[in-house]
Amino acid sequence: MSGEKSVSFSGNLKQAAFSILYMMPMILAIIGLVGLFQSYITEEMLASVFNGNAVHDTLVGTLAGMVAVGQAIVSYILGGELLKEGVSLYAVTAFVLAWVTLGVVQLPMEASVLGIRFTWRRNLLAFFSTILVSVITVKLLELWR
Amino acid sequence: MSGKQRRSRWMGVRLLALVLLLYAGLALAGSPGVLPALHKALEILKTLLPILAVVVIISGGINYFLKPKALAKHLGEESGLRGWMIALGAGVLSHGPMYAWYPVIAELRRHGMRDGLVAAFFYARAIKVPLLPMMVAYFGLDFTVLLTLLTLLAAWGQGVIMDILPARQEELP
Repeated sequence: MSGEKSVSFSGNLKQAAFSILYMMPMILAIIGLVGLFQSYITEEMLASVFNGNAVHDTLVGTLAGMVAVGQAIVSYILGGELLKEGVSLYAVTAFVLAWVTLGVVQLPMEASVLGIRFTWRRNLLAFFSTILVSVITVKLLELWR
Repeated sequence: MSGKQRRSRWMGVRLLALVLLLYAGLALAGSPGVLPALHKALEILKTLLPILAVVVIISGGINYFLKPKALAKHLGEESGLRGWMIALGAGVLSHGPMYAWYPVIAELRRHGMRDGLVAAFFYARAIKVPLLPMMVAYFGLDFTVLLTLLTLLAAWGQGVIMDILPARQEELP
């Protein structure tokens, strides 16, 4: 990095801005997809895929959280509503966790910026962690409450 | 522009074209969800622009202030406990969507940040400090405390596993 020492702060900012500009088509594409998902996947559609079985619901909650996109706050509101509708806490926990840590929509961008192998490994680990954390959280709560 | 950046840009252009075609197709088919989708996308873009400005400043700052030796010390192979604390803390405190942080993380990786710390950073982002009161209100204090602690533990565990896996061979940005 010795060559980079002579680059001024504004020069570095300019380089960083260009990096973001290069990524803009991908960012805009992801935003477009997020808009479509938020418009076409409704709360009712999400609730209809749960059946009350803990294993099934945890898995489906994780998958639904992966697909559903938006601000984390929305996942809490949706999760709370799903809980009120009788969806298990396993599913809701997995859903809320997967919402923030996993994302099908942003996979192409993650792979393009951080590499396919890294993306594959990270998402696989995050997927199993989400299931594990959800199950342990609810099991411990059942013992505690 | 490096070869990796060029490939990444073209992949983005192709995906953007595909998404635009999807919007156009749905609009031509008279689907009522297209306009709300477009409206939502514009809202997201409006929210994201200031975050991207912050990302530019952080990325520029990383290149200007942090030297490879210092970065290796804090986030590299020998960063130890300090590295974990920085990655988990930064994950918990970072705002905005995950993809907004890819450029910063790519920059840090280029300077030697371990993949384990990257994985820990991303998973720790599940903890949203400003939203904790809301989580308590919806799911209870015991649920919130337990989920927060287990999420941090899982973030660290993922990082450890990631570091154990064979070193990456893929090209870096």
